Amino acid sequence: MTIFKTFLKIANKYKLTIIIYTVILLAFSVANMKSSDNSMSFIATKPDILIINNDQKEGITKSLIEYIQKNSNIANIKEEEDAINDALFYRDINYVIYIPNNYRQDFLDNKNPEIKIKSTGDYAASLSEMMLKKYIQTANTYKKAGYTEEEIINNIEDILLQQTEVEVTSKLDIDKLENATFYYNFQNYALLAGCVFIICIILSSFKQEAIRKRTIVSSMKYRKYNRKMLLSSALFAIILWSFYIIISFILLGNIMFTKHGLVYIINSFIFTICALTIGLLIGNIVKTKEAVNGIVNVVALGSSFLCGVFVPIKWLPDSVLKVAHILPSYWYVKTNEALKTMEQFNTETLKPIIINMGVVVIFTVIFIIINNIISRKQRKIN
Amino acid sequence: MIAHSFKYTLKTLFKNRMLIFWIFAFPIILGTLFNMAFSNIENNEKMDIIDIAIIETEENENNKIIKNAFEELSDENNEQRLFNTKYVTQEEAKTLLENNQIIGYLQFDTTPKLVINTNGIDQTILKQVVERISQSEKTIQKAAEKRIENTLKEIDFREVNNIEALYSQIYEDVAKILEQEPNIQNISSSNLSYTMIEFYTLIAMTCLYGGVIATIAINQNLPNMSANGKRVAVSPTSKGRLIIGSTLASYVIQLIGLLLLFLYTIIVLKIDYGNNLSLIVLLALCGSLAGLSLGVIIGVIIKTNETTKTGIIISVTMLGCFLSGMMGMTMKYTIDKSMPIINKLNPAAMITDGFYSLYYYETLDRYYFNIVSLLVFAFIILGISIFSLRRQKYDNI
Repeated sequence: MTIFKTFLKIANKYKLTIIIYTVILLAFSVANMKSSDNSMSFIATKPDILIINNDQKEGITKSLIEYIQKNSNIANIKEEEDAINDALFYRDINYVIYIPNNYRQDFLDNKNPEIKIKSTGDYAASLSEMMLKKYIQTANTYKKAGYTEEEIINNIEDILLQQTEVEVTSKLDIDKLENATFYYNFQNYALLAGCVFIICIILSSFKQEAIRKRTIVSSMKYRKYNRKMLLSSALFAIILWSFYIIISFILLGNIMFTKHGLVYIINSFIFTICALTIGLLIGNIVKTKEAVNGIVNVVALGSSFLCGVFVPIKWLPDSVLKVAHILPSYWYVKTNEALKTMEQFNTETLKPIIINMGVVVIFTVIFIIINNIISRKQRKIN
Repeated sequence: MIAHSFKYTLKTLFKNRMLIFWIFAFPIILGTLFNMAFSNIENNEKMDIIDIAIIETEENENNKIIKNAFEELSDENNEQRLFNTKYVTQEEAKTLLENNQIIGYLQFDTTPKLVINTNGIDQTILKQVVERISQSEKTIQKAAEKRIENTLKEIDFREVNNIEALYSQIYEDVAKILEQEPNIQNISSSNLSYTMIEFYTLIAMTCLYGGVIATIAINQNLPNMSANGKRVAVSPTSKGRLIIGSTLASYVIQLIGLLLLFLYTIIVLKIDYGNNLSLIVLLALCGSLAGLSLGVIIGVIIKTNETTKTGIIISVTMLGCFLSGMMGMTMKYTIDKSMPIINKLNPAAMITDGFYSLYYYETLDRYYFNIVSLLVFAFIILGISIFSLRRQKYDNI
């Protein structure tokens, strides 16, 4: 009991750190939440386009502007060059179209007037360019065939209105699953940082020489002491885990009551145990309290960056992912990512998930073994 | 006396291992992580080849055109290649879609129909392309009709020997006109890599972290903070000179840390800070000065122990970096757009914005505005610190 009480006392002293990690977890999860309009019909992705019109808004110019506006989100940006440039850089808009002065007349005179654009060069910008090109090409064709301006506009409207039929098949609530995956991925950071920090601080408190000497001369057996330390740390880790699970129920709602939710929970439990052993291992290696902060940041930030917590796995370069294989976080994140698109639960679809979990368990065992070897060597006080 | 104080402050600071870790190593570690994680983001934003499938059906006029168009768009030698198309049966397509190996498939009943898994930009592009193909067909039809009508008005068609050839010639001409590249001129800057902001905030963080060194150095001279301070206080030397010596020493260490980070990010990580080296150095000097002043004022004004003082500086720095986009690049933009005053007062944002304007803007107005802001910030804060440091007396400690 003495050990356990001391453990809780020290943990209580550092609760602010845990609160900070939790706040970070919550802030980022809420900020990344997608509102769920779970529609079964097709919704076109609309790029953000800004149109700077230097011509009169009449005739073909008007028709072009209206066509673009119908197929894009019109950005709310001040029409100043600096504001436009900033908006492009931070991807607030994807595409800017500058319609030159006298565009309509030049077009009707077959002068093929030049349109200036600014583009971010990403997917949405390519989509915008497709739309702009389509309009101009179609208009040119009609013009050169000899239609009048009014006929051109009517023809374009007729033709561009034709839509292809689209069927959406997925029954999954993708947005909610994405929210859940993001939250559980981010738990990797909060759990690792929380477990490693608190356990390291506590172990190093117990390791101060005077306290160690007092423990050694006491009647308590070495093994019993070790077991109690392990149990108290495990209890702390599980409390932290349950806390995050409860938050996930509040934050994510009914998706947590499905099969998907259950696998998320099991997965994060297995990872918590792994984080606990990482904490114990580092706590045994680290000598001073001052060093703990540095190491926690490197371990938690490092594995979160490399394993697809802060930046989605699909965006990481292959070389980084290869390195990430040697970290347990990678396998944890991989399961969460797989859940996002899992339609059915059967032995075949669950197999890769069970393998991922198995790898995390193997990591846990390895950490325990190394930890035992190290702590055996450290028993002597010179 | 300044030299003496300078030398010994330098020695004590270099022996502080924690300090060295946070100022020298941590930014480099963070920079490496940023580089590993972000190096691929922008490549992924560019159009990639989209995996789709087309269901094999009997050929007819209607789907032939679409199929041919897709064949061309899936050709590996085509520079404008958009798709990787598989030709499969309905069942196979369904399985492929379920396993996320394709984003959607195209089937032909009477009209073409798209089947997709979820909504998204790839799917929108696919839909655009399909629509474009059938729309082009109708456009050509309509334009050619008009042309034929006009041509027949002009010529006496009894003189035309082969009317079929004339028609198909017109169709071909119209199709060519439709294919003509429109006159679009791209005038955007080529420096559009927004992940650079991450590295700029990293520099800002290092500049402001430097405040911690200044606080520790100042503490050495404050009688209520350290034994060393008491000893110094009873000595018959000018306190001003001692403090100037210590502050200079901490500024030097700060600059060494910054230099290491610059060398590392430029040589190893290949970060682009723009081309003007002297302006980069000037910005770094001013940024560090702002960090230094922050450290001095917290060292002087707040009466608490050293750990809390460093804690305050680190929190202020992290908050500043958060607002200038370290934890999400759009943060700075959002703040600049909705509450510009906040980042006008935030030294981390001034530093970040300075580098950003060097990288992205062609004119230097914005850069100099940031430099002046940093200097004003530093001098106001240093002024307040000097004012409150003067004539401090202690009845007891």
